[in-house]
Amino acid sequence: MRKIFVLFVFSFSFLYSFSQTKLPEVDKSPMDVSYYPGNYPILKIQNKATEPLVARVLYSRPQKQGRKIFGELVEYGKVWRLGANEATEIEFHKDVKIGGKKVAKGRYTLYALVYENTWTMILNKDTDTWGAFKYDSKKDVLRTDVPVEKTDEVVESMSMWFEKTTSGMSLIIAWEQVKVSLPITL
Amino acid sequence: MRKNLLVFVTSVLFFCCKEEEKKTADNDAPSKIETPVKVLPPVTHYTVPDHSPMDMVYFPADYPLLKMAGKTTALPLMRIIYSRPQKEKRKIFDGLVKYNSPWRLGANEATEIEFFSAAKIQNKTIKPGRYILYCIPQETKWTLVLNSNLYSWGLEQNRQKDLMQFEVPVEKNTVIIEYFTIATEKRSDKDAEIIFLWDDVKTKLSVSF
Repeated sequence: MRKIFVLFVFSFSFLYSFSQTKLPEVDKSPMDVSYYPGNYPILKIQNKATEPLVARVLYSRPQKQGRKIFGELVEYGKVWRLGANEATEIEFHKDVKIGGKKVAKGRYTLYALVYENTWTMILNKDTDTWGAFKYDSKKDVLRTDVPVEKTDEVVESMSMWFEKTTSGMSLIIAWEQVKVSLPITL
Repeated sequence: MRKNLLVFVTSVLFFCCKEEEKKTADNDAPSKIETPVKVLPPVTHYTVPDHSPMDMVYFPADYPLLKMAGKTTALPLMRIIYSRPQKEKRKIFDGLVKYNSPWRLGANEATEIEFFSAAKIQNKTIKPGRYILYCIPQETKWTLVLNSNLYSWGLEQNRQKDLMQFEVPVEKNTVIIEYFTIATEKRSDKDAEIIFLWDDVKTKLSVSF
C-alpha cells in the first residue's frame, strides 16, 4: 500500500511539474499573415517581385465551428478586433490613402465596427494590443465605411488577403458568408 | 492509511478540476501547456490555416495581455514572429534539420525579430529595428545569425546580409516538444532570455536592453 502511495505521489508530482512547463501552446485561432504584393517573401527569394512590399497584415484566424458568427459571436454595433487574440495589425511600408485620407507609413491596429449591411473600418494608432477591450477612439487615425457582400460558400476560417486594383489594392476580409473590401490607394 | 490516501486523491482531483475550470473560464488568454491542436482540414477555396501556424512572442512575455490588463504602460522591448512546424514522429535535428546548414528557425517565412529599443547580445550592440533570425545548428552548439534580408521566405538565406552571429550551447529537454517553440523569459525588467525548443533540444539566447 505504502509503495503504491509513494508511486502515486511520485507520478502525480511528475505530471504536475510537466503541466507547469511554461510554454506557449499552439493556438486554436492560429496567426497568419498576408502581404501586398501577395506572397511577397516567396517572390523575393525567387527574384520575381516586380514591385516593393507595400502592406502586411498580421491577424489570428478564428474558425466558425458551426456557430453563427455575425450578429451573434461578433455582435452588431460593437468594435471587433478583426480576428482573435491580439488585435489585427496592418503595416504600410509607404504612405497610402484610405477613404480619401492620407495614412503615413507605419504600423497600425485595424478594427471593424460591424453591422449587417456595412462595416466601419477603424485604423488606430495603439499597437501591440489584445482584443478590442481597451479600444480608444481618441487614437483613431481614420474611419471609413465599406459595404457588406455575401460569399457563395461558407468560409470556415476567417481569411484576409490583398487584391490588386486599378488604383492600388483592396484588403479583403471574409468569414462565414460575409465579405468586405477595404480600398487602399497608392 | 487508506483514509489518508482517499483524502489525498480527493484533494488532488479537486485541485485538478479547479485548474481545469480556470482554464475554461479564461480561454481567451494563452494557456501555458504544450497541447498540440490540429488545424481543421480545408473546407473552402479560401485560404486555409497553415499546417505550421504562425505565432508571435513578446518581451515582456504576453505584452498585449499585460497592456490590456493595465499591468504595463511601458512600450514592449522585443517581438518575434515565427511559424511552428511539428515533429510528427520525425527525427528533427540531424534529420529534418541538417547540421551545419542554415535553418529558418521555424517554417514558411524567415523568423522575424524586432527590437523596439537598443539591445545587447553577447556584448554586441544591436540597433532598434527589425531583423531576420536564423540558425546554423550543430550537435552541441547553435550559431544564431541576425540578418537584414527582411520579408523573405526562409528556405534561402542571403548570407551577404548577415549582420552578426552568436553561439549558444545545446541543452537537452526532459520531454519531447512536438511544436517548435520560441518563448521569452524574464531575468529582470531589462534582461530577457529567448528560449528555443523542439524535439529534445533546447537553446537559450540572453538579450539585455
